[in-house]
Amino acid sequence: MISLAGRDILHSWGKYAFTGLGLGLLIGVTLSMAGIYRGMVDDGKALLANSGADLWVVQRDTLGPYAEPSSLRDDIYRGLLGLPGVARAANVTYLTMQARQGERDVRVMVVGIQPGEPGEPRYLIAGRQIERTHYEAVADASTGFQLGERVRIRRHDYTVVGLTRRMVSASGDPMVFIPLRDAQEAQFLKDNDAIINERARVLANPALNRPGVPGLAETLSRSQETSRMVNAVLVQIAPGWDGEQVADAIRRWKRLQAYTVAQMEEILIAKLIATSARQIAVFLMILAVVSAAIVSFIIYTMTLGKLREIAVLKLIGARNRTIAGMILQEALGLGLIGFLVGKTVATLWAPYFPKYVLLEPGDAARGFVAVMVICALASTLAIRTALRVDPATAIGG
Amino acid sequence: MSAAPEFKPAIEVAGLRKRYGAGDTAVDALKGVDLTVQPGEVIGLIGPSGSGKSTLLKCLGAVTEPTAGRIALSGETVYDGGWRNLDPRALRRDRIGFVFQAPYLIPFLDVTDNVALPLLLAGRSNRDARQRARELLAALDVEHRAQAAVAQLSGGEQQRVAIARALANQPPIILADEPTAPLDSERALAVVRILNRMAQQYQTAIIVVTHDEKIIPTFKRLYHIRDGRTYEEAGEGREFG
Repeated sequence: MISLAGRDILHSWGKYAFTGLGLGLLIGVTLSMAGIYRGMVDDGKALLANSGADLWVVQRDTLGPYAEPSSLRDDIYRGLLGLPGVARAANVTYLTMQARQGERDVRVMVVGIQPGEPGEPRYLIAGRQIERTHYEAVADASTGFQLGERVRIRRHDYTVVGLTRRMVSASGDPMVFIPLRDAQEAQFLKDNDAIINERARVLANPALNRPGVPGLAETLSRSQETSRMVNAVLVQIAPGWDGEQVADAIRRWKRLQAYTVAQMEEILIAKLIATSARQIAVFLMILAVVSAAIVSFIIYTMTLGKLREIAVLKLIGARNRTIAGMILQEALGLGLIGFLVGKTVATLWAPYFPKYVLLEPGDAARGFVAVMVICALASTLAIRTALRVDPATAIGG
Repeated sequence: MSAAPEFKPAIEVAGLRKRYGAGDTAVDALKGVDLTVQPGEVIGLIGPSGSGKSTLLKCLGAVTEPTAGRIALSGETVYDGGWRNLDPRALRRDRIGFVFQAPYLIPFLDVTDNVALPLLLAGRSNRDARQRARELLAALDVEHRAQAAVAQLSGGEQQRVAIARALANQPPIILADEPTAPLDSERALAVVRILNRMAQQYQTAIIVVTHDEKIIPTFKRLYHIRDGRTYEEAGEGREFG
């Protein structure tokens, strides 16, 4: 038996191709939305993987340092190094802000690191790691910064000495790594007016500026002007030690919160991007419904245009399943064209999204099945209409 | 002394009735139609609008179920107050051919596939169906358009392809519903000539429903249908074939 659907598609391939193209663009948007979600998850995982940490030690009762603010004294890491199972520990700060390069502003996550310690970018695509203690930076390539360029962060200019890749925050902002001291200053240092006002307040306070204790007010003011805070301590565990066991020890003896990689993933994916994920899920559902409605309408319209032929087919003895099969195959063919177009355009336009879009083969496979199911369901209205056609309409009268 | 061969009518209709609706609104479209057509014979069926022509055609074509009466094809009763354990769809596919006012060819199939389609629907292989289609196209002088798309054919060629399609399964009867309506005199007569030739060649009975004054004189036998009843009129038409 010849394929009626195949012949019909070949006969009106232009109309069919354009319809498939339109549907494909819609499917492309749907796949891109799924890719955006996957990209967010992957960004979160890359953030954790690239930090090189086994444990994140943060302020108690917080989900820091990425999902909630966290402040720790910067000397805590020394105590952590003394705990059994802790191989390395290093302070880090994270601050999302605008960095200025020439005339343009770039939104970045400024990461304060100790060179050579956990938290440092694990690989570079150009240049070198930070070696000096001040005013050097390593930037993610997506910032657009070039080696040797000067970047302004708060009050200071930094020279870009290295470029790295896939180092982004959970919200997709590219990272710029600078020395810890500079980052602490950028994050916690008050502006000059605030410092002067604070000094005046201390001097005006009789309890802090007592005549019998010279130097107290000045010492207090100095202590307020320098920052000794960090957002987290990244810990690497010694070989043979269990992460959860070391984390328990930190929680118990240091009265701090410690998260393992699995727990941090849970925080990033289930909490930090949960709202975005739900937003995307709702949008995906709407797109699926819209796609189904469009396919249904297209197939229904195409079937209405063939009612006379369907009546003739029934009159000359075509079985219902032959006619239903023709319509179903055309719907599936439309879905196939739409999916191929959608997958192609989603792949082509993915690099132009400002945030990472990850198109996973598994999602494509699931998308393909979903498109086929939607097309099959969408064809039911047209099939119902076709099967109701009275063969007598071919005779007239 | 051998017995004379038994000739069974291609179609034999007796007391056929069709009622639409029920109660006060019931309409009797056919009130007892009697009709017999022999193999190889082409008869005309004429009548005014609303006389029951289309209803009769639909009943004979197993498209509409009659209310009462009897229909026999090649001596086998297919309807006798009900379809005799026969699927009307299979009956149409295997034993009845249709030619319409417009050719109603399937536009997305080429000429050969249009003719082969009834055979393919009946389960014949592609090769057999196409072979038979080519034979019929040759018999109808449209073999040279075998690979053409339907839209590339003239009206007369399309009607000849439609006739070939009706003949594909070698049905004992073909029902032709005003097959010459859209054609000019010359082409209309050509179509009737072809129908007569095919009826003779394939021993198929053909019932032609028509309003076309040009072709009415060509039928040797003519049935009038009026108020749901048929009346036979002896014709003096020319002979074809």
